[in-house]
Amino acid sequence: MFARRRFAVLKDLLEYVGIEPGRLHFSWISSAEAAKFQETVLAVTEAVKALGPAKHMIKDIRKVA
Amino acid sequence: MSEKAEFQPRIAAFLCNWCSYGAADLAGVSRLQYPPNIHVIRIPCTGRMSPKFILQAFRQGIDGVWVSG
Amino acid sequence: MQDIQGEEGDFTVKVVSHPRYVDMDKCIACGACAEKCPKRVASEYNAGLNKRKAAYVQYAQAVPLKYAIDAPNCLYFLKGKCKACQKFCPTGAVNYEQQELTRDIKVGSVIISAGFKPFDPSRYVQYSYANFPNVVTALEFERILAASGPWMGHLVRPSDEAEPKKIAWIQCVGSRDVNACDHPYCSAVCCMYAIKESVIAKEHSKAGLDAAIFFMDMRTFGKDFERYYDHAKEEGVRFIRSRIHSISERANKSLAIEYATEDGQAMVEDFDLVVLSQGLETSPQTIELCQKLGIELNDSSFINTSCFAPVATSRPGVYVCGALAGPKDIPLSVMEASAAACAAAGKLSSARGTLAKEQEVPPQRNVAGDTPRIGVFVCSCGINIAGVVDVQAVAEYARSLPYVAYVENNLFTCSQDTQDKMTAVIEEQNLNRVVVAACTPRTHEPLFQETLVSAGLNRYLFDMANIRNQNSWVHAGEPEAATEKAKDLVRMAVAKAALLQPLSEVQLEVEPSAMVIGGGVAGMNAALELASQGYKTHLVERDSALGGNARLLRVTAQNDQVAPYLADLEARLQAEPNIALHLGTTIKDVEGFVGNFKTTLAGEGGEEVVEHGAAIIATGAAEYKPSEYLYGQNPKVMTHLEMDGALQSGELDPKKVNSLVLIQCVGSREPERPYCSKVCCTHSVETALHFKKDNPDCQVVILYRDIRTFGRRELLYKEARGKGVLFVRFDLDHKPKVEASGQGLTVTVRDHVLGRDLLIEADLVGLASAIVSHRAQDLAQMFKVPLDADGWFLEAHQKLRPVDFATDGVFMAGLAHYPKPLEEAVAQAQAAVARAVTVLSAKKMMLPGTVAWIDQSKCVGCGVCWTVCPYQAITADDKGLALVNEALCKGCGTCVASCRSGAPNLRGFTNQDVMAQIMAM
Repeated sequence: MFARRRFAVLKDLLEYVGIEPGRLHFSWISSAEAAKFQETVLAVTEAVKALGPAKHMIKDIRKVA
Repeated sequence: MSEKAEFQPRIAAFLCNWCSYGAADLAGVSRLQYPPNIHVIRIPCTGRMSPKFILQAFRQGIDGVWVSG
Repeated sequence: MQDIQGEEGDFTVKVVSHPRYVDMDKCIACGACAEKCPKRVASEYNAGLNKRKAAYVQYAQAVPLKYAIDAPNCLYFLKGKCKACQKFCPTGAVNYEQQELTRDIKVGSVIISAGFKPFDPSRYVQYSYANFPNVVTALEFERILAASGPWMGHLVRPSDEAEPKKIAWIQCVGSRDVNACDHPYCSAVCCMYAIKESVIAKEHSKAGLDAAIFFMDMRTFGKDFERYYDHAKEEGVRFIRSRIHSISERANKSLAIEYATEDGQAMVEDFDLVVLSQGLETSPQTIELCQKLGIELNDSSFINTSCFAPVATSRPGVYVCGALAGPKDIPLSVMEASAAACAAAGKLSSARGTLAKEQEVPPQRNVAGDTPRIGVFVCSCGINIAGVVDVQAVAEYARSLPYVAYVENNLFTCSQDTQDKMTAVIEEQNLNRVVVAACTPRTHEPLFQETLVSAGLNRYLFDMANIRNQNSWVHAGEPEAATEKAKDLVRMAVAKAALLQPLSEVQLEVEPSAMVIGGGVAGMNAALELASQGYKTHLVERDSALGGNARLLRVTAQNDQVAPYLADLEARLQAEPNIALHLGTTIKDVEGFVGNFKTTLAGEGGEEVVEHGAAIIATGAAEYKPSEYLYGQNPKVMTHLEMDGALQSGELDPKKVNSLVLIQCVGSREPERPYCSKVCCTHSVETALHFKKDNPDCQVVILYRDIRTFGRRELLYKEARGKGVLFVRFDLDHKPKVEASGQGLTVTVRDHVLGRDLLIEADLVGLASAIVSHRAQDLAQMFKVPLDADGWFLEAHQKLRPVDFATDGVFMAGLAHYPKPLEEAVAQAQAAVARAVTVLSAKKMMLPGTVAWIDQSKCVGCGVCWTVCPYQAITADDKGLALVNEALCKGCGTCVASCRSGAPNLRGFTNQDVMAQIMAM
């Protein structure tokens, strides 16, 4: 419950700094739901893949150096 | 092939030991196949998840974060 | 085992160890003997579908993992020549001179669990199992589907190793049949395993499999079984109600099955593979052994047990569990195993612990401040990991990681010999952290932690990389990516391991008393067993009398009267000084945890707080009150428990009933209650027989959907048919109608064969109404245990832990778990006691060290952590700062994530530990 509330705020914050909401996923799966786990992995992987590589917030070593 | 089609994201998966981590183990026992992009970090409970962990993941260039209870 | 001499409490058991011709101390399980052995023998493990050598290990996970020589097949023993295994064994372990070893063992009780033998269908000449290669037994098909089977789990048929596109299962092969095999009983497990095989075969099939199951009655009576049956129908498995007469073979080795549809049409259908759902029987050797030991068998050659003492044999002190006491599935076998342990230990409880030796644990090495020296063990898990992941490459990679001082690859890291070796390596290499890259910490972490302890390391200096369940098994088609991922996972585990610190565990005293909630048959038995084992027991019943549902029940499935049994139980309870009886009492509050519960009871005399170390929930269930078939509107319509009550009180006299109709599945197997109530078919058949006995002219009709008289109950069904009881089947779409007509009732039911309505005049209609849960939310919440969708208490694991909850120290028995006959409730009560005694018999227990602690120098006393803690484990100390009660803390870490000052941290999962893993990703 507390976790859920915390993450709703975090998602807004991330969007503000330029991390697309589609890069952060939450789900609730019981230990018996293997099929749901598989489906969720596929969905999360597809969603992140569609956004392409994350470019924000990465400390670019070359630039720093 | 387009660049996007070849892109393989790295995704950090924070899984609750009692729920999703168990489901992940069971998916293995059931041989349910999925792509190898996710890397699992076992946490005792989603209550343990600090926003700091998610920020750190993005900061070092992880493409996606998945938290599952 | 050859013989048992003596009597209860003082047996001498003669045991013969057969020579394996391999010195277990020298064998390193390298497999050279099997590789060089020239003799090939059919593999028992794969049901004869492939070959093993005469020098062999039965299967890859065998414990201990040591080879053996099969003398009757060995060329040296047969012809005096060869000795290849001895020549190539690198450790000189092969010894042809080993002799049989006979030993006498002194014991107080004996448990026989010799199991069953799968029925050999060669006797059914019409099915041509012996002649047609594509007719296989269910056990052979299990091996075909198994990843460790002859075709690595690829769905193929034996004749040409092509993937079958159509498979048929034929049920009741060696069961419910007195013509071909003299087995009148139902084997109880075949319906469920056939459905499971069909669903898994469909999953394994690449081309889309057509699966058909030919059956007489579909018997899915266990917990969640009916849902699985419904699921299989949704997945497209065809269920065809027809007894198959014979199978013929086509030129392409496919098989033709002739069958009749329900409306009587003759059909012929071709299948690529036919699976015979073979029944269970007792092997001739086991029958002989039981006869020699003086243990009574019943007419079906299973050990004879009574419903009131389900694990006791006819010989005092000798107990039985599993399929040797009648065909049964894994959950019930495991339950009976615990029950037999309870019964066997009961009489010996005064001697508990007298032969136990304290485990010697070497002193813990202090590694604080030492530079990490990490040992990495990469497991091949046979081919489970190594078949996909390049384990050598992973091991090589691990060598390059910081602080890694030692790396090795093992065939099975979990095997006993590898564990012994690991202990030695930790000492020799002076390792102070260990990482195992293998299966999952959820099953194997405790094992490896024990090894650390035996090597003098704190158990928390350990981490696992899950490269099997979450890698090789799920990325089977991508070996390169899986190998890279395995390296990543090892790197992350090593990064965390370098930061791990030794943790100390809290030691707690255990309160050696128990609480049993519910005073029905299960609760009464549980309380009596606990008391007889010497534990003070509180039996809490909300009603003013004991007995529960059994007070109305007339007889058991073996036709034993229930009322005298209940009276006896109650008298023994009253006389037992170790039992405190709390009638008319409910549970108001539960505090504490395993070993130290504090429960508030509310009764007529007010409230009382009781301390106990363990709890058994046996709160039972209720009979469904139907809203159909004129129930509640016409006094001639009764539920089956009401009929039992009326028969016992004499209100109902079978002699005055000329026509009785019993309707099955009233409220069960319906969309709102998609489960089978398990007991009703047998109960109705018993009732029918009772009426027929008292009044042979009475017409008795049973309207049913499937008759589920599992096990030896089938004999009752057969007897009822013989006595003229009529059985008419209906389906959910055409439920019977009950209408009042003059003095009596008219029941209308659609006959499948005729396709027409039958009208039956009845004096009395009995409804086999469902067993429904109490949906005991409050109790569940107080003990922090879950309920399932139907309101039954949910066990920790359906097969492996059928009476445990995931919450320590709380167990279950009886109808609260799922509908079951009386003998299963008794067995489950005994099982729950055996499990509870594992807690109560320990004087002290250790709590895990993975708990939260507060850095009080950072704490401002804001109170967020004690508000969010789900276990009420944090309180304010006298300075107003947060303090953790380590006994209540479950290590969830919610406090850590919620604190704005960063004062709490979680041992074993510190912020630094998790950050290290993220940074190593």
